[in-house]
Amino acid sequence: MTSLPWLAALPWLAAAWLFAIGVYGVVTSRHYVHLIGCLSVCQSSTYMLLLGVGFRRGAGPPIFYDHPPGTPAVDPVMQALVLTDIVVGAAVTALLLVIALQVHKRCGLVDPQRLRPLRGPK
Amino acid sequence: MTGPETLLPLVVLAPLGMAALLATIAHWLPSRMADVLAILTALGIMLLCGWLAGQATGGPIVHWFGGWTPDAAHRPGVILGIAFVADPASAALAAFCALLFAASFLFAWGYFDEVHSHFHILMLLFLAAMEGFCLTHDLFNLFVWFELMSVAAFALTAYPLGQSSLEGAFSFTVTNSFASFMMLMGIGLLYAGTGTLDFTAIGQAMARHGPDPVILGGFCLIAAALLTKAAILPFHFWLSDAHAVAPTPVSVIFSGVMVGLGLFALTKLGGQSFGAGEGAMAPVRALLLWLGVATAVVGGLMTWGQRHLKRLLAFSTVSHLGIMLLAVSALKPLGAAALLLYLVGQGLVKAALFMVAGILLALRASADEIALYREGRGLWPAGVVMILGGLILGGLPIGLLHGGGHLIHAAVPSRVAEGAIILSTALTGAAVLRAGLRIFPGWSGVPGVERGAPTEREHEKADRPLWLMVLPGALLLVLVLAPSSAAFPFLAAAAPRLLDPWAAGIATLPEEGGTLASGATFAATLALVAMSLLRRRPTGRLARLAAWGERLPFRALEAAHSGVVSDYVTWMTAGLALLAVAAASWR
Repeated sequence: MTSLPWLAALPWLAAAWLFAIGVYGVVTSRHYVHLIGCLSVCQSSTYMLLLGVGFRRGAGPPIFYDHPPGTPAVDPVMQALVLTDIVVGAAVTALLLVIALQVHKRCGLVDPQRLRPLRGPK
Repeated sequence: MTGPETLLPLVVLAPLGMAALLATIAHWLPSRMADVLAILTALGIMLLCGWLAGQATGGPIVHWFGGWTPDAAHRPGVILGIAFVADPASAALAAFCALLFAASFLFAWGYFDEVHSHFHILMLLFLAAMEGFCLTHDLFNLFVWFELMSVAAFALTAYPLGQSSLEGAFSFTVTNSFASFMMLMGIGLLYAGTGTLDFTAIGQAMARHGPDPVILGGFCLIAAALLTKAAILPFHFWLSDAHAVAPTPVSVIFSGVMVGLGLFALTKLGGQSFGAGEGAMAPVRALLLWLGVATAVVGGLMTWGQRHLKRLLAFSTVSHLGIMLLAVSALKPLGAAALLLYLVGQGLVKAALFMVAGILLALRASADEIALYREGRGLWPAGVVMILGGLILGGLPIGLLHGGGHLIHAAVPSRVAEGAIILSTALTGAAVLRAGLRIFPGWSGVPGVERGAPTEREHEKADRPLWLMVLPGALLLVLVLAPSSAAFPFLAAAAPRLLDPWAAGIATLPEEGGTLASGATFAATLALVAMSLLRRRPTGRLARLAAWGERLPFRALEAAHSGVVSDYVTWMTAGLALLAVAAASWR
């Protein structure tokens, strides 16, 4: 496996790619729900990065129930980070969807490019 | 464990516990009970934090959760636990957060009746998040508080469920979510580079390895996230939308202290984790200085060009954050002292001014200074607060804010910085004074550049007496007029410990003494106000041309603040690239 150094870089490249297409999607989006989906894509790049940071080649899961302490294991700190981030991400996505739904109810708009919190005087 | 160490987690547990309690029993309580309990909780935390700040001047108060001290792992150098570390500055800022919450709860007395106590629950969560953010000593824990603070803030902004507030909350949520993604990635990279999440341990690892690209990338991402929270150009676009449309008691907290916490955390991390390469930080610090100058000037110009009071105040906050970033860029004890004093001073004034805007929204059903022309007669106590607040913002040479400005000038002795401070102070102060004079006594010239600015018809609930709404703002203004020299002994002891909690030392703070041309600032403010009072309708061809030329830059700036979230994200990406370039030249 050592003959494939690019394999070690794969999670990093994937994370960068996910972040970039997520940002591209948010910047060009013309629909609230699409935008929120793109935001989630961006967020999954952070999962990818964190799991890549915590990964150890040839190590098992960090559960020592049935094998002795000292067995090589991947880094549990990074997994805890990812878990927390997933929870927060779910809350934020739900909140955003509710806001999008309310905006649609009030003015029938779903296009974020036409979003204007305050408008010029009539 | 000593008494203060045992009590430290209570700062976060009390508001969280009270929020949970209110969620359970609020339905059976008499209608004002939630208000009373929330105010008492905030005041109690303020007293506790104030006491802790006093105790911490001799050395930081440390609480390792669950007893997981660095020795508990039996592996030297491995830190498994998470600590709260109360250095005097952090504890004092935590006390200040609680004070503003108490004032905001008092201002909001009965305002949120129809939604039971949901408002109080969200606000208490918000308070807990801020306290944790101030006190934590662990990078991931910092992220958790950052997120809790953001989520509570998103919900509070969207709360009135009007079209503006929903749209403002949407761009606030999207931009700040990006900030938290960047922060999390930065934390991942820092952990990959240093193998720890503890602030001090990161600093030690930095000193061992020197800056390698992974750590630099992590620093850039975290700095970008904190600068987004702190609304620094080009990350600042969300602020004016969110602060202008949030309910007034929430805007008080946003502008008063939430945004300043971003700069506070940047100073803390800069000192404790990245302080090892003092000289190596030079390119980043130079970039921060220039961003501060740009933010102060652009924020000041935008303030002058607004007519919607809350949007005006929001941009003045942007401008002041730029001035504070100048202090952060110094990254030395004097800068830290300046940041603290200015943060508290501007927070007190801004909270009082937002309350006046809230009073006008409640009693006169508008926040538009042109529509409100002469409408403020009969509300003279609010007028006194607003005009006094404008004078203080505009450089009135007494009080905490003036002392803070003086210290910032002493910490950043550069002509450009001095010019930016004078210009933005004069613009923000004069804009508030212009609006106050127009609304309350009805002194006004013809509207100038502010006429074309965005505005809205809206109102807030009017169900409480005027004196109750004016009282908290007036009390905050009395506090800000306290002589800043009274705070100097505390600041001198607290500032070095913010940059390194375990370093004993006393910073020398320069005495007040006209280094900053304070007279010139105040004169410039008054000149701007006089100019707006004497403005007449342009009739001649030349006068019309001049008026058109004057409007042009303001129109261009307003067009950049488009309200479209995809533009904001593009600007943020550009800002991140800028930071990356600066960090890459870090040798």
